[in-house]
Amino acid sequence: MLCSDDKTKSHPVQMRSPSRNTCLLSGLWIGMLFFFTMILPITAQATDHSRMINCDVHHGTCTQKLQGMDIILDISPKPVKAMTDLKFTITLTGEQDVSEPFIDLGMPGMKMGPNRVLLKSNGKGIYSGTGTIVRCPSGKRIWKATVTVPDKGSVEFIFDVIY
Amino acid sequence: MSSIEALYLTFLTTGFAVGFGHCIGMCGPIVVSFSLNLKTKGVMAPNLLYHVGRISTYAVLGGVMGATGAFTRITTGIGGLQKGAMIFAGLIIILMGLGMGGWIPLGQIFGNYCRPEGIIARSFRKLSSIQSTAAFLPLGLLLGLLPCGPVYTALIAAAGLGMETQNTFNAVLSGMGLMTVFGIGTVPSLLMVAKLSGMGWLKSRDIIYKIGSILMIGVGIYFLIKGLRF
Repeated sequence: MLCSDDKTKSHPVQMRSPSRNTCLLSGLWIGMLFFFTMILPITAQATDHSRMINCDVHHGTCTQKLQGMDIILDISPKPVKAMTDLKFTITLTGEQDVSEPFIDLGMPGMKMGPNRVLLKSNGKGIYSGTGTIVRCPSGKRIWKATVTVPDKGSVEFIFDVIY
Repeated sequence: MSSIEALYLTFLTTGFAVGFGHCIGMCGPIVVSFSLNLKTKGVMAPNLLYHVGRISTYAVLGGVMGATGAFTRITTGIGGLQKGAMIFAGLIIILMGLGMGGWIPLGQIFGNYCRPEGIIARSFRKLSSIQSTAAFLPLGLLLGLLPCGPVYTALIAAAGLGMETQNTFNAVLSGMGLMTVFGIGTVPSLLMVAKLSGMGWLKSRDIIYKIGSILMIGVGIYFLIKGLRF
């Protein structure tokens, strides 16, 4: 047993007489191992963010409001697939005097590093740029596009992508 | 500070942040498995060699991204390699777990009693000698190809740097530099995990060793399934 003093057991490495602290530390060590090898990967995968989805990018545009403006997001080509070149288009209605918006791509609940899509004006409140949604090997498919309009604020579009 | 230096700093801190937030969850199990398999040696030297290998692969990928500025084309091209790396990682962890637990005599089959011929047999013999410190460098080089979301994100930035740089040589260097600083940023978290899991006096206890072996096999199966599905 882990915390018994069984010196008759054959073992290539000399067994030491365990103390209470040894038992405690052994338990902590096993717990830590279990956490790093089993719990973290499973929770990273199992957390359900699908309830957060507020945008169906595969079948059209999505709209959110920000300070009286309508912010319309479109991603093409459809269906939206990871690891492909995508065109992001933002249309702003109701406000003409704004700086160029930009989009930060990420995953809810998982840090993926800075992935910013810079947009250029096409006139009449329409801005577009290209970017890529990367594939997460955990299998999670829920992504978040945070559209920021400088000096106005930001809104989040949460959607699923195809791997 | 130039824009490139600012980007390097951004990705160094990104590597550090995702190291503690993302890499521990996704790549931590690999590091734990390797550290557990080091029966008597210190964990730092082999782990550092592993990270040198991993970061070298990142740097090469960053250089290619910088030179071409084509993230999606290159990643599509190396998709098969990444799948292979993930499956290999799963298999090697399962084998190490089985060997460490004493359930398969890796040394007897491939190391001590025969001199096998052929690539596969020789490869398995190499696997049995994975406790050698030097083996961690090629292991890192290979497993640097493991698919990983934050690595992809850094590669996108490397490709973007390449498109902004006029000179191809500078584009290669800037891509390599970006991926190198990103990789360095991820090292502290994984070294911490390795150090914690490689506490030698605890590993000398048989029951813990067996539990560690079972966990390794579980992790290996997890990677194998992920690799087959990738």
